[in-house]
Amino acid sequence: MLRPFEIHQPEDVRGASALLGQYGEDATFYAGGTELLLVMKEGLVRYRHLIDLKTIPGLNTISYDAEGWVRIGGTATHGELMHHEIVRRHVPILTNVERKVANVRVRNVGTIGGNLCFAEPHSDPATLFLVFDAEVELTSQHATRAVPMREFFVGPFETVRQPDEVLTRIRLRPWGDRTHGAYMKFGIHERPTLGVALAVTLGGAHTTIEDIRIAVGCVGPKPQRAEAAEAVLRGLPLADAERRLDEAATAAAEGLDAISDLHGSAEYKTEMVKVFTRRAFRDAVVRFQ
Amino acid sequence: MEFSREISVAVPPEKVWAFLWDLDRMARCIPGCREAREIEPHKRYEALVSERVGPFKVQFPLDIDIVEAEAPSRLRAVATGRDNSVRSSVRVRLDLDIVGDAGRTSLSIHADVSVLGKLATLGHGVIKRKSDEIMTQFAESLRQALEDSRADAAAL
Repeated sequence: MLRPFEIHQPEDVRGASALLGQYGEDATFYAGGTELLLVMKEGLVRYRHLIDLKTIPGLNTISYDAEGWVRIGGTATHGELMHHEIVRRHVPILTNVERKVANVRVRNVGTIGGNLCFAEPHSDPATLFLVFDAEVELTSQHATRAVPMREFFVGPFETVRQPDEVLTRIRLRPWGDRTHGAYMKFGIHERPTLGVALAVTLGGAHTTIEDIRIAVGCVGPKPQRAEAAEAVLRGLPLADAERRLDEAATAAAEGLDAISDLHGSAEYKTEMVKVFTRRAFRDAVVRFQ
Repeated sequence: MEFSREISVAVPPEKVWAFLWDLDRMARCIPGCREAREIEPHKRYEALVSERVGPFKVQFPLDIDIVEAEAPSRLRAVATGRDNSVRSSVRVRLDLDIVGDAGRTSLSIHADVSVLGKLATLGHGVIKRKSDEIMTQFAESLRQALEDSRADAAAL
């Protein structure tokens, strides 16, 4: 049962942060509500004041700035990201990932900021953002700070965001012509069992792996980069990569702190990470042809 | 879910044993423990513990029964509690085994933790991770407090 609460609709982010400061633990920010209202109905959290961020003008803006960054406002919904021309043109992989997030009801109202701040370990966009130079902007009534995406997640449902900070923007650098990527997810429930994001940058005449980024989500307590796997492949001639791919995939599956749950056992997930890392790599490389 | 920790301190077992019955000092070693009181000495206690994972807060009033106490080597306790606001309950069986050797004591801490109810919605992984974290904090606080008690005794 959903207990009664009061909705506040501040005019700007500083006002929202000030309200949160005023009501303290009795209040939280509210955007799409797709996660929040579920846990409120379950009685797992109780708030008497919800501070609505959706009505703050401009907080859902998506833009491409003069320095070549794509900026996504925190209250942009999954649906807005999926349909937005700027996203489609500069970050098409995000368009594709957003198309398959949860279900149509969630995509229509769920926001990207809410998704990241709730830090449910089975988030697709969080994993994808890790293979970009992405950062989140957190704004309170007193200050604004930028946090690299890699440092944002602490654990399940926990981030470095302070209670009175609003995730105002996500900033990410689109890939250049020499980079292609893939995001692969797998699962039998609405939330995925695993997600693997991979971006590969080729040097020379597309013959050498100049850089590679691999992130694994849904498997462990938080999405994380598979640095050991990246190290196996980085700098290799493309012709040798296939030969070392098993080794890289095994490295990606190690150190994930895989969790056994409704979505599969830790052993199963670990094995599937290997399979999907190989697939994602091949899928990314084939895009250069 | 079972968790084990082992600590070793330069304090004789008898002192460690005495420390375990010092309610205020023990309570300070238990993460999230806000209140603790004795109902029946060496038999029954009550405590109030609260914890959080991100936005999720729980508060368990615990009934603690000492089921076995063999000085100075073995202590078995069972703590049970229910948080009605999140309709969840917890049961912890705690086994402490104390072995002394030349003025030092090894303390094995073993806990068997069950969490039932709505909290399980968060997923087994989340609860296991939190329990593991609590155990680590408990063992470290206990080790520190025992070492401090030795320093206090030396100062006297």
